[in-house]
Amino acid sequence: MIDPYYLQQLAIGLSLGMTYALMAIGFTLIFGVLNVVNFAHGEVYTLGAFAGLVLITASAPPIFAAIFAALAIGAFAGFSLERLAFKPFRRFTDEASLKSRAMRESTLLSSLAVSIIVREGLEIVFGSQMRSVPFEYLINTPVRVGPVILVTGDFIIFAVSAVMLIGLQYLLRRTRVGLSIRAVSNNPLGAKYVGIDTDRTIIMTFVVGSMMGAAAGILVGLYYGAIFPAMGFVPGIKAFVAMVMGGLSSIPGAVICALILGIAESMATTFVSSGWSDMVAYGFLILTLIFFPSGLFGAGRERV
Amino acid sequence: MNASKSPTRLIVPALVLLAVFAALPAVLASFDRGYFYQIANLSLIFVLLASSLHLVTGVAGLLHLGHAAFYGVGAYTAALLATKAGLGFTFTLPLSGLVAALIAFLVALPTMRLVSIYFAVATLAIGQMLYLVMLNWVDFTKGPNGIIVTKGLNLFGFDLSGRLGTYYTVAAVVTLCVIAIGRLSHSYYGNALRSIREDDQCADAMGVRTVRLKMEVFTLSAFFAGVAGSLWAHMTGYISPGDFKFSESILILAMIVVGGLGSLPGAIIGALLLILLPEGLRGMGDFRNIMVGVVMFLSILFLPKGLLGEVSALKLVRQQLNAAWRRTDNGIGIGWR
Repeated sequence: MIDPYYLQQLAIGLSLGMTYALMAIGFTLIFGVLNVVNFAHGEVYTLGAFAGLVLITASAPPIFAAIFAALAIGAFAGFSLERLAFKPFRRFTDEASLKSRAMRESTLLSSLAVSIIVREGLEIVFGSQMRSVPFEYLINTPVRVGPVILVTGDFIIFAVSAVMLIGLQYLLRRTRVGLSIRAVSNNPLGAKYVGIDTDRTIIMTFVVGSMMGAAAGILVGLYYGAIFPAMGFVPGIKAFVAMVMGGLSSIPGAVICALILGIAESMATTFVSSGWSDMVAYGFLILTLIFFPSGLFGAGRERV
Repeated sequence: MNASKSPTRLIVPALVLLAVFAALPAVLASFDRGYFYQIANLSLIFVLLASSLHLVTGVAGLLHLGHAAFYGVGAYTAALLATKAGLGFTFTLPLSGLVAALIAFLVALPTMRLVSIYFAVATLAIGQMLYLVMLNWVDFTKGPNGIIVTKGLNLFGFDLSGRLGTYYTVAAVVTLCVIAIGRLSHSYYGNALRSIREDDQCADAMGVRTVRLKMEVFTLSAFFAGVAGSLWAHMTGYISPGDFKFSESILILAMIVVGGLGSLPGAIIGALLLILLPEGLRGMGDFRNIMVGVVMFLSILFLPKGLLGEVSALKLVRQQLNAAWRRTDNGIGIGWR
């Protein structure tokens, strides 16, 4: 018989992993189409959380309205991020410069710069202290499931993430937008030749990815009840680890690795203090890079 | 006729040295405010940090996102040696560099085969792991409370802990390290590193031992970061993990990007700009941190080669310091031996 405590940690880990998965999908989609890493993704998560918080304190809407506000802000953030930090560096569209290191590094640094600006801007507007979510919005009412006590937040996070993941699969497999996203990530130049508007597709990718990140932000904010400008950094790194473990451009791989990461972390808090549990993610990252450099689920790539 | 004998050749380095060792202390002494000394020392330490990152990211082209952690290792080594073993600055200065280099070498062993974004991710993870150790190993590092270093600067029995003494010590150590880094990055060795940056597969095929070179340069740069860390620990007298977190690594990276990747004078200018600009903008209050981001963004957008790009920096170095600069038979300068 398994100790109920571990079952409980497993459930918490699953819902934690689901939020990492939502973040990791944003990274993976953007890496797929542009071959670059978006370092401002953590800030999109923070923006989503703050959008929900502002709406909640202003007009006390139902909880799903807050999530929709986060989604809207996420979409807007994704759009402006692409225009600001990525578009100016795509001056040439030939294959060599799309894959060049100069372009990859300048977008990496420009997204870092944008993330600094957004984070410091939020600190000026909201202060760097934690802002607590009004009590009635916290999703932590205990629910008893068999021998395990969970909170409503675990179910809400799991349900919302599952719906969004299924929605993403529908979008990618069954719609024209999804088809063009897959085409661009497969071969940007080929997609251009057959008449796909690559610029619009890239924007759509940013919008979809950032909506997922922003949703993760508001869900975690409501779950823990604390929202602050620097909150996006650690989940951003975790999601990034999940993406690398999953093989950079594989969405199912990223989701599975995010769940593994979430469970491993919540299990680790059983044995060590919570400060050390972040070590798990970095340890996984280094081990993956050394032993499975192309990721656990990634297709073979030429060089790592 | 040896070109290096002509007096006009050494004007720029002479002026810089004069400014650092004579003009600036005179200005500082005339203001006589401890705060200005702090700023001067801080900028010098960041000049050293930016120069050491320049070696890895600028010359060898390896995006290093965990540099501040090695700076932290150096600072903690100095602080722990000074408080627990009672060693003076004479010993902690080289030892902290060596410990940082040793740790860098150990983490480099498995990770240096990685390239491009994988390398960047690995250094980020290493930096974060070291930071977590500093933050969470409370028994050893005192965790978030930080360590108070009571030992001031004291070299070979001479007490240098006064304001001017501290400044001169920091300035001398930083100048020596920067000269060493300059010689290294403008030598044949530096050219080999540049070949890794341009195309590591090609360099490998030409017989450059890329993995070994990467390990060497990573270790060397950690050594200089460790030296900077021990200067910081003894200068401020108090260190805490917050000084060495990810955003510091990014600040150092921003310095060399703003100054110009691959250019040592650029790295120095970038470090001075990003330390002094926020201080100058103190009147703007909270906006100064945003300015770091804005300056970084604008410089990537409008000055992709940085304030003083590599080509012009090489030209400057060649004109001013070409004492032992080797030329090929047809007169093309190729660097120091």
